[in-house]
Amino acid sequence: MAAFAEIVLGGLFHAAVLFLVAAGLQLVFGVQKIVNLACGAFYALGAYVGASAAKWAIGVGLPTPLVLVVVLLAGLACAVIGPPLERVLRTVYDRDESFQLLLTFAFLLMFQDLFRIGWGANPQTTGSLFLSFGTLDLGLFKTPAYNVFVIAVAITVAAGLGWFLQRTNFGRLLRATAENRAMAEAVGVNARAMFSVVFTLGVALGTVGGALVVPASAASLDMAAELVVEAFAVVVIGGLGSISGALAGAVIVGLVRAAAIVFYAEAELLAIYAIVIAVLILRPAGLFGKEAV
Amino acid sequence: MLEIRALDVDIDGSRILSRVDIDVTQGEFVCLIGRNGAGKSTTFRTIMGQRKPVGGCVAFKGQELAGLSTFQIARLGIGFSPEESEVFADLTVAENIEMPTWVAGNRSTRSAAERIGMAYQMFPKLEGYRSRGGGQLSGGERKMLSIARALVLDPELLLLDEPFEGLSPVVIPQISEGLAAIRKGGRAILIAESQFHHVPDFTDRLYVIERGEIVFQGTVAQAERDAATMQILRGTDGA
Repeated sequence: MAAFAEIVLGGLFHAAVLFLVAAGLQLVFGVQKIVNLACGAFYALGAYVGASAAKWAIGVGLPTPLVLVVVLLAGLACAVIGPPLERVLRTVYDRDESFQLLLTFAFLLMFQDLFRIGWGANPQTTGSLFLSFGTLDLGLFKTPAYNVFVIAVAITVAAGLGWFLQRTNFGRLLRATAENRAMAEAVGVNARAMFSVVFTLGVALGTVGGALVVPASAASLDMAAELVVEAFAVVVIGGLGSISGALAGAVIVGLVRAAAIVFYAEAELLAIYAIVIAVLILRPAGLFGKEAV
Repeated sequence: MLEIRALDVDIDGSRILSRVDIDVTQGEFVCLIGRNGAGKSTTFRTIMGQRKPVGGCVAFKGQELAGLSTFQIARLGIGFSPEESEVFADLTVAENIEMPTWVAGNRSTRSAAERIGMAYQMFPKLEGYRSRGGGQLSGGERKMLSIARALVLDPELLLLDEPFEGLSPVVIPQISEGLAAIRKGGRAILIAESQFHHVPDFTDRLYVIERGEIVFQGTVAQAERDAATMQILRGTDGA
């Protein structure tokens, strides 16, 4: 029972971070119709900058909760790269999808080199920062309080994103633009300006995700590509373009990964992709995807 | 108000519109009539900036529209209801109607509430469907919603592509009266129509389009005296 609960909590921790990145991916795809392979690079950027920010904050002697605030703000600040990157993406909006994939993949590779230049080849850690938040005793088992905090942040972001998309006029305009861009423009919506906002929001979800994960793990050169692989599994399972789909997909992938690690670690990716293939066969549009018209 | 001069539009290398001239002045109700595929929708899409002409020009209130984006053209005061209605299925009826008031940069001097009120007044049926999803409407209801949404922009010119399509014979006179009332307010209306018997009797002028060319322009009465034009118009009713 305790082992089961640990798998669930570990899975949800991973799902929380995965959801943030996948939600960014979904938002950008939904509105801009661009499959953004660079989302993993944003996640890694948030982790690297978060690690450096943590080192600085610990160095100047900030108390632990404030260190965390600094890390998260650093992750959020990374979103400034959104508008210039979106500006470059404009060159491929009207081109074939393969150009869009190539360009965002190029971003991913270029960022990887920038990380190597900026931080070297060794993983950057925050010196087990997460342990200083103590452990929560949940009766059956103990868990790092930080993991629960990350899950809570992801749930808050999911709720906030849902509120933003469903209950604000800007969110409604976003959904309308996602559904039918030409008509939204004919009603007076400046879709190009909206793209910049959406893309930056997508970047912020990724960089905050990276900053959130780094206190519990490390920033490393392979994390970007690894996350892209998992985020795509999430998106295919949940359905391309759907935020609820990202949530469901992230929980499924997170739990399966956690279970695989405990029972048969070698099959981690195999198990995730077995589900991806099953979804593609049984429900090609994904669990929450709209059937293609 | 709207001046289209010698407009040439190509789609995938074939000439769809050829030297099209259309004028609409303030408060005028003009009908562009022709068979399916004659080039009516392409004319509207080109006015809205969704298609780029290869020749000629479109001007609105003296301003050349070439180089403007669709959203800028809409904000100048042109409301567009496309042939397929293109109601947002992901939004409710009320949200579809209110949407133009959320967009900044509209030149309307009327308040949002006033503009929204105008649309419901024109289409009272929509009032009862406010919280219904845009995807849960019949074809005729979508048509009404699409026109109502264009109206909320408070445009000086309304472009309505097949406004009577899919409407029941009972509703057509209602919409027709609504359009007459909109025009009385000083707005200009250009409708595209593929069936001659749908052309409202208060239509000021008629343009007949055939294979991308304007083959007749004049009043309905003039059209009825022109044997060649009537042959085309009768063809539209038979289709």
